[in-house]
Amino acid sequence: MKKRIIVIIVTVITLLTIAGYLITERLNAYQDIEEVIEQEFRTLRQYVEDVYAIEFLDDDRALVFYSWDFPAFYNFGVMELEKTWQGWQFVEAISNRMERKRAWLKGVYAEIGDHVILRGPTWASVDKIEIITADGREYIPELGRAAEWQMWYLILEDEPFEEATFILYDSDGEVLHEEVLEFDLNWPE
Amino acid sequence: MKLSFKYKVLMIVVLLMFIGIFLYYYGIKARQEQAVTEALIDYKNMTREYALDAVYKSKEVPIEVKLYPTAHTEAILNRWKAISDRYPELDYPEAAIEAEDWLTVEESLEDTDVLKEVVDQMYEDSTIPPEGAGASFTTLFNYIKYHQYDTTYIEEVLIDLGIEPPKEID
Repeated sequence: MKKRIIVIIVTVITLLTIAGYLITERLNAYQDIEEVIEQEFRTLRQYVEDVYAIEFLDDDRALVFYSWDFPAFYNFGVMELEKTWQGWQFVEAISNRMERKRAWLKGVYAEIGDHVILRGPTWASVDKIEIITADGREYIPELGRAAEWQMWYLILEDEPFEEATFILYDSDGEVLHEEVLEFDLNWPE
Repeated sequence: MKLSFKYKVLMIVVLLMFIGIFLYYYGIKARQEQAVTEALIDYKNMTREYALDAVYKSKEVPIEVKLYPTAHTEAILNRWKAISDRYPELDYPEAAIEAEDWLTVEESLEDTDVLKEVVDQMYEDSTIPPEGAGASFTTLFNYIKYHQYDTTYIEEVLIDLGIEPPKEID
């Protein structure tokens, strides 16, 4: 009888602790992706950030395109989040330095999770970008906007390419600029 | 229902052990979290200050972050080396740079007295600034780190001393 009481007390305490832990975890797990993103920026200490785009790959994966560091915002990040039973969770983040200054556009190659991403800043006046590779493939990257700059990004499912011609158009369909960008496919090593 | 003294003691001991393990576990966890927070602050500062690329594979224990120099990092180091070549009192931490130990690299640029001494010497060595013109240690720091010319004559002095190339005339 007495032994049983001890067993019951210990079991109850253990169960309460585990339940308490799980409830806390659950309460800490933000379900709202924008709150999670804010929280992750705080954890990474990448303050004063601009979010250009949130791209949902499917129901439980998202890529966040952003730049950080006041006042220049030269550090361009991409963060992968995954939705689990605990809410949106951090998977991986990368940050690339791209000093945009007076350049029409910049671009880098990066791998995050299972994805190959090309991305970089461009001016707000750009309405559409056309990418033409040396072997004749054509891509239209997405454009995400924040303040007076935009970020173009392309989630590549085909073979990566080392260089391509970028044609920038304005909202009237006029060509603003044409430039060849090179990509280091071995980044970051 | 009356418990014997022996079982009361046993229950208390079990409870205390439980609380003890709990506190110990949270103590370790809190210390680890503190260490991770500090490491993340360092990674962020170095990424920003040396224009690095960064890959965050894990931001919790065990933390996994890698930093990579970029073309902009090279530019910072080249400015630093050019000054150090002419004014060796400003240390250029070759070994730490090779090892990509950016925290140690940063320490070499923290001695404000040396920076002030070097910038004063630069103004003295150049024929361009008039008598009495000078600059503070931040001028040299901002030039190396951010390629800024934040004081009168600094750009002309750097060109005059051959550290910066002459300005292109359009």
